[in-house]
Amino acid sequence: MKKFYLMLVLLVGMAVLAACSSGDEEASGGSSEGSSSVDTITAWAWDPAFNIAALEKAKEAYSGDGDFEVNIIENAQDDIIQKLNTGLSSGTTKGMPNIVLIEDYRAQSFLQAYPDAFHPLTDVINSNDFADYKIATTSFDGEQYGLPFDSGVAGLYVRTDYLEEAGYTPEDLTNITWDEYIEIGKKVKEATGKNMLTLDPNDLGQIRMMIQTNGSWYVDEDGSTPNLAGNESLEKAFETYKKMMDADIGKIVSDWSQFVGAFNSGDVASVPTGNWITPSIKQAADQSGKWAVVPMPRLDMEGAVNASNLGGSSWYILNVDGKEQAADFMLNTFGSNVDLYQTLVKDIGALGTYSAAAEGDAYAVEDEFFGGQQLLSDLSSWTDEIPGVNYGLHTYAIEDILVTGMQDYLNGTELKTVLENVQGQAEAQLK
Amino acid sequence: MSQQSTKKGELDLPVSLRYKETRREKNGVFFRKKVGWLFVIISVIAITIFNFYPMVQAFLLSFQSGMGGNLEYVGFNNWQRLFGDPTFIAALTNTSIYLLIQVPLMIVLALFFSVLLNDPKLKFRGFFRIAIFLPCVTSLVAYSVIFKYLFGIDGIINQFLLNFGFISQTINFLADPFWAKVVIILAITWRWTGYNMIFYLAALQNVDKSIYEAARIDGANAFQQFFQITVPMLKPIILFTSITSTIGTLQIFDEIVNITNGGPGNATISISQYIYNLSFEYTPDFGYASTVSYVIVILVVILSIIQFRVAGEKK
Repeated sequence: MKKFYLMLVLLVGMAVLAACSSGDEEASGGSSEGSSSVDTITAWAWDPAFNIAALEKAKEAYSGDGDFEVNIIENAQDDIIQKLNTGLSSGTTKGMPNIVLIEDYRAQSFLQAYPDAFHPLTDVINSNDFADYKIATTSFDGEQYGLPFDSGVAGLYVRTDYLEEAGYTPEDLTNITWDEYIEIGKKVKEATGKNMLTLDPNDLGQIRMMIQTNGSWYVDEDGSTPNLAGNESLEKAFETYKKMMDADIGKIVSDWSQFVGAFNSGDVASVPTGNWITPSIKQAADQSGKWAVVPMPRLDMEGAVNASNLGGSSWYILNVDGKEQAADFMLNTFGSNVDLYQTLVKDIGALGTYSAAAEGDAYAVEDEFFGGQQLLSDLSSWTDEIPGVNYGLHTYAIEDILVTGMQDYLNGTELKTVLENVQGQAEAQLK
Repeated sequence: MSQQSTKKGELDLPVSLRYKETRREKNGVFFRKKVGWLFVIISVIAITIFNFYPMVQAFLLSFQSGMGGNLEYVGFNNWQRLFGDPTFIAALTNTSIYLLIQVPLMIVLALFFSVLLNDPKLKFRGFFRIAIFLPCVTSLVAYSVIFKYLFGIDGIINQFLLNFGFISQTINFLADPFWAKVVIILAITWRWTGYNMIFYLAALQNVDKSIYEAARIDGANAFQQFFQITVPMLKPIILFTSITSTIGTLQIFDEIVNITNGGPGNATISISQYIYNLSFEYTPDFGYASTVSYVIVILVVILSIIQFRVAGEKK
């Protein structure tokens, strides 16, 4: 009998709660439609040395007519993703920021998973003002949602002193293919005993950079159909990766600190990665003058170019009260302010994707660390050549499958079989 | 034991008083029950709101699927999807391996240590107890990171093995599917053995010394004492610790994420990490993620029933 009462209490309790929760949803759905101005707009981003610093500069530079405070909050990227997901899926806009930074690889999944949660900027900014390749990933369904921010333009950072020992100059590595790169790598290892690069078997950023040189990605144009089996660029990239392994020119690392440690301690002769690595390269002050940056090697295929991208992120405005003010803030700072971009480059080394900014003086500065190279103007000229691809919805989900596939391939399974397997797995998982 | 002592106490009261007490109890039984319910109702409501309601909601969610907020009911699709999902199967296999190897290993070790540390002749008992229990107060993330560096390719373990000539070339523990699992198992065992040991130590205090004395007089050696007396006396505690450890291992997350992040490939991914990935790492599908969560619930229930049947009282 007691048990019966207990069950009864539980059931009543649940019914009451269920009723409450459905009522809430309706209420919040209605209120988010209205737009009124607010006193404070909140912005979320990660990395105090880069994105947060850029926001601070933007706040200083803002001269629009909005009368509001900008509240900048630093969160780890993982935390931002979790908070956005839990907040947006619960249907409440309480506690959500006005402005948020989202990584380009994840942008489409947020835009599609939470339609109406983001405020379109189509009429606010001119998407032609920004690097082309950023537009595909920051827009959805014909509307521009993201304000393209930092460039993930990739470069091949090389140690000129090691190359010299092996009889090469940076020019010999300029505009080469990955196959040529491997040959040079073998010679460099012979002459110096140093590995050519680091490889992290759990992070296929290397593969992503390779396939983007040919305008290819893990998914089709539609952003959701896995494009793995029969993807020639991916095949080529896998083959190249294996060649690097076989040639024994890669130092295996398993996390970020080992990756940074490898080039800071002079263990590798080159670092092919995104330009955001520059501050980490410069950490080793004793290596000043021993580095140069050349364009990314390309896949040895028709149509591949010597430019690629790794990472990068863009600003988004949430569809909550204060969105007009937030849009005004963004337009007058990251959306049009050339001077701001000069400050960003000079003070934080943050390379944006606002095309007009590249003509400024700050971009022409010669960097002593890189032997007097005009690094920023080089990087921004490569930015314009990056083939635009739609990163789509499933970059990280597919990559986790590919990592396993890569292990099988390195252990001797036929490439065709491997890619057919991963295609099958991806299709099964991404229904 | 305790019942006997209260009876003794009651016997001190005059007989008339005892009768009055019982009559008053009889009159107020309904009132008392109500008051009792009042005390209980607060926690019943709180548990309902914060435990049962979310459980029911999560169960309903496990029949839905879709990106982020666009969830819709898909019937048993999620449950079917489980069986064809290689990542889920890998996660389930890995978690089972951790469970099958790590839990028995840890229980035996904990039992072994607790018996050693219970020896009254042992010097510095307090020090050893603290030393073995100390890992339990360290933060999960902190110790995971330390393990990661210990077993790194330039880590102290590799240096040690290399310098003493056990290996001729460094082993990349965390990039090898087999060794990565070994590292995870070592890490969890290090972290949780002391925790379980404390339960056994506490239970051993309650084992009557005269039983051991009698056994010694009968000529039982230390092994016989251990298997014939200690283990049977600790049976309920062993059952309790193996159930809590099983649940803990099924939910393992922090260590995996921080030491190997599931890699190499999916060689160390656990069910909980897969749930996290489905919700936050990939395009969010909370429906499917909660289906996977319910697999853990089902496993915990099944394994606990088995453990009760095998080790528990017959009644």
